[in-house]
Amino acid sequence: MTLFTIARKNIRKNFTNYFLYFSSMIFSIVIYFTFVSLKYDQTIDAASETSTKISSAFNAASIVLIIFVAIFIWYSNSFFTRKRKKEVALYSLLGVRKKQIGRMLFYENFLMGIIALVIGILLGSVVSKLFVAILMKLMGYEVLVQFSISTDAIINTVIVFLLIIAVTSFHGYRLIYRFKLIELFQADQESEGEPKTSIITALLSVLLLGFGYWLALQDILYSKVWQMIGILVAPLLIIIAVILGTYLLFSTLTIFFLKRARKNKKRFWNGINIISISQLLYRMKGNAFTLTIIAVLSATTLTAVGTSYGFYYNNKINAELTNPNSMMFVDQDGELTSQVDSLIEQDPDHDVVYHESIPTIPARVDTTALNSRMGPVEAIYTVISNKTYNRLSELQGDTDTIALSDEQAVALDISYFEGLSPEYVGSTLDVNGNEISFTDMKESNVLNAGTSNITIVVSDEMFDKVAEDTDVVTMEAYEITGESKAKTLDESIRSSMPEEADFTSFYQVYTLGMESNGLLIFIGCFLGLVFLSATGSIIYFKQLTEATADRGRYTILQKMGVDKKDIKKSIRKQIFFIFALPLVAGVAHSVVALMAINNILQLNIWIPAFISMTIYILIYVIYYFMTVRNYYKIVTK
Amino acid sequence: MKTILHAKNVQKIYGSKGNEHTALEEVNLEIKEGEFIGIMGPSGAGKSTLLNILATIDTLTSGEIIVDGQDIVSMNEAQLSTFRRDKLGFIFQDYNLLDTLTVKENILLPLALAKLPSKEIEERVESIADTFGIRAILDSYPYHISGGQKQRTAASRAIVTNPSLILADEPTGALDSKSATSLLESLSKLNEEKGSTIMMVTHDAYAASFCKQILFINDGGIDAEITKMNQSRKEFYQKILDVLASFGGDQ
Repeated sequence: MTLFTIARKNIRKNFTNYFLYFSSMIFSIVIYFTFVSLKYDQTIDAASETSTKISSAFNAASIVLIIFVAIFIWYSNSFFTRKRKKEVALYSLLGVRKKQIGRMLFYENFLMGIIALVIGILLGSVVSKLFVAILMKLMGYEVLVQFSISTDAIINTVIVFLLIIAVTSFHGYRLIYRFKLIELFQADQESEGEPKTSIITALLSVLLLGFGYWLALQDILYSKVWQMIGILVAPLLIIIAVILGTYLLFSTLTIFFLKRARKNKKRFWNGINIISISQLLYRMKGNAFTLTIIAVLSATTLTAVGTSYGFYYNNKINAELTNPNSMMFVDQDGELTSQVDSLIEQDPDHDVVYHESIPTIPARVDTTALNSRMGPVEAIYTVISNKTYNRLSELQGDTDTIALSDEQAVALDISYFEGLSPEYVGSTLDVNGNEISFTDMKESNVLNAGTSNITIVVSDEMFDKVAEDTDVVTMEAYEITGESKAKTLDESIRSSMPEEADFTSFYQVYTLGMESNGLLIFIGCFLGLVFLSATGSIIYFKQLTEATADRGRYTILQKMGVDKKDIKKSIRKQIFFIFALPLVAGVAHSVVALMAINNILQLNIWIPAFISMTIYILIYVIYYFMTVRNYYKIVTK
Repeated sequence: MKTILHAKNVQKIYGSKGNEHTALEEVNLEIKEGEFIGIMGPSGAGKSTLLNILATIDTLTSGEIIVDGQDIVSMNEAQLSTFRRDKLGFIFQDYNLLDTLTVKENILLPLALAKLPSKEIEERVESIADTFGIRAILDSYPYHISGGQKQRTAASRAIVTNPSLILADEPTGALDSKSATSLLESLSKLNEEKGSTIMMVTHDAYAASFCKQILFINDGGIDAEITKMNQSRKEFYQKILDVLASFGGDQ
C-alpha cells in the first residue's frame, strides 16, 4: 500500500470529518472565481461606458478577496488539522516514519485542494452568470447574458489557489515535525484553565474604544487633534485603537464580568446558570481572537455596504436635487427651443409636462463679502425673481413659496457645506450696483445646477431694477415624462446643442450615477455577502467543534438529572452570547464609522444603513438558530 | 425497615430480532433503607447493565422497578430527569467531574440545579467537604487534583442532595490502594453514621469487603448472596474470595 493510497482512503473513509474543510474550500473558490469572471466578463465590459473605472474597482476588490480567502482557508485548515492531531500521533506511535506521515498529510491536503478547485470552478462558472445578470440590472442595463467561460478567469483562479493549497499542504507536512507526540495526543483535552484578568486591561479596552470613537467623530475640518496627528495617520490610529480595544474587550472585560457574575452566589448557584456561565468563562479566552476578527469584519462589511447602498439610494435624490427640471439650456437665438420641441414631439415615449422660459440675470459677485472660506473669490450667480421662483416651485410639485420685498434675497445653494460655503444669511451683496441682503438660504434649487450655478432669488421690484442695466438671459426648462429612461431623446437633443447653451439633463446625471453607484453597491454587497457568510460559518464551525469536545460534559449533566429542556436553555444562552458579542461590537463600530463618513459626504445614509444592518442581523439570527440546533444535537446524541 | 428499591423480573435484551443478546434475565432485587450492597461478578455478567437500568440511564426490556415508592419504568424523559436529580446519587469510575467548575462548584451543582437558596447550599457543601476531607481543595479545578481527590469530590457531589439511593459504579477502579481505602472508609462511615443507602458495583473483592451484603451476578442472573453480619472485614473478604473461586473465575 503506497502512501498515496492511504491518503486517498483516509479521505474517503472520513468524509464527514473532511466535509467541513472541503466545503469551505469550495465556497472560497466559487466566490473568488465568480468575482474574477466578472472582472473579465465581456458583456459588462461592452455595456459600460466607464470600463476603466470598473476594472480598477474590481482589481482593488479582488485583492481584498484574496487576502480574505487566504485567511479563511488557513483558518478552516487549522480547525481541520487540530481534529486530526490524535490520528497523526497514533500513526507515529505505530512506527510510521515522520517523513512518511508528513508526505501523507501533504498528499491528502493537495488532493482535496485540487478536487475542490475543479468543483469550485465548475460551480463558479454557473454562479458567475447569475451575478453578471444581477450586476447589469443594478447598473441599469438590459443585456442578454451569454454563457461563456473566461479562460483568463480560470487561469487566474488556478494560480491563486494552487499557491494557497501548496502553502496549506506544506503546513500539513510540517505538522508532525512541529509538535511532540505527547502534545499531539493531548490536542483535544486542552485544559485552558481559568483565564486571568486584570482591571487595568479591562479598563484599557474601554479607554481604547472610547478614544477611537471620539477621534472618529471629531469634525475633521476643525479638529485640533486631527491636525496634530495628521489627516493620514489619524484614521490608522482609529483603526488600531478600535481593533485592539475590541480584542481586549472580548478577552478581558467580558471575562471580568463573567467572573463577577460567578461571584454572585444567588444568581450563579441558580439552576442552569452555573453551567452556562462557567462554560462561557472556560471558552472565552480561546474565542476572543476569533470574535475580534469577526467583529472587525462585520464592522467593515456593514460600513462598506451601508455607504455603497447609501450612494445608490441617494442617486435619484441627488439627480433630482441637481436637476429639478428634466432639461435646461440657454437659448441664445430662439432656434433651439423649436428644435427641442419637435424632437420631443417625434419621440413616442416622452411628452412635455411643462416648458418654461425663465428670465434670469447673470451676476458677477465678489464672494469675499459673504465670508467664504474658500475661493473662487469671484463667481457668476444666477438671479431670478420671486414670482419666477414661486411659479417653478409650484410646477415642480413643491408647496414651498417665498415672499420677498425691497432688498431681501434668498440664496439657493445645493452644494452648501457648513463651514466651507459662504455664510449667506445676514450678509449683504452688491449685484451690479444694487445692494441686496440675504434673509434665508435653501439647500435646493428650482433651476438645474449645471446651467445656473448658485441662484439668488430677489424681490420682483429688485429684479426689474437690476434688469434695467443688464441683459436678461432666458433659460429654457423642460419637464418630460419618463425622464430617467430618455436615452435616445437625450442623445439627440444633446448633439444639437452648442457648447454655450449649458445643456443639462436629469437623465445624464441619473445614468452616470447609476453606473458608478450600481457597481459600487454590487461590489459592496458581493463582498458583504462573502464576509457575512464566512463570519457566520466561522462561528458555526467553531461552536460545533466545541460541541464535540464538550459532549462529555453534557453526558455527565444528563446522568445527573438535568433534563434536556434545561440543557437546551443553557446552550441557547451560551451561543447567544457568542453571536451577540461580535454583532453588537460590529454594529456599534460601523455606526460610528458611518457617522464619520456621513460628516464628510453628507449623504442620506441612515435608511440604507439601517436596511443593511437589519439584513445582516437577520442572517446572523438564522445562523444562531442553526448553531443551537446542531450543537444540541451533537451534545445529546 | 423501609424498602428503597424493588426490582421485579428485570430483563434486558440487546440487539434486534435474530441477533439477540440477553444481558439480564429475570433479576429480582430488594434493597432496604440503610443497606450497603455490593454487586459482583465477572466481566460481561451484566453488573453495569443492571446499575445503568437502576440509574434510569438505560431502559429495560421488561420488568418492574420501584424506587422509593415510585415506578420508574413508566416515567417519561422529564420525570426521569427530576427523579435522578432528587432521588439518586452517582459515583462513576471515571469521576465525571466538570472541568469547567471548581471542586466546590462541582459538589454544589445538583443543589444549584434544584434551585436551593445559596445559604443552604453553602452549609451543606461545607459539612460534606469535612466528611470527605477535601476542604483544602475546594477552590481548585479538577485537573489540578489527584485521582483520589477527584473521586471523593464525585462522592461528595453524589450525596450532597441526600439521595434515597447512592449508586457507585467501580468507584475505586482508577484509584491506588491508599486512595481507594480512604474513599471506601468514607462511604462506609456515611452508611453507618448517616444511614445512607448505597449500591456499589465492583469486581474488586477488597472494595466489596466494605459492604454489608453482596450479590453475585453471573450470566444475567443473581447467582449467590452473602451477608457480612458480625464478621470482621477480613473474614468477610476471605468469604468473598471463596465465593468468587467457586465461580471458577480468577477475580
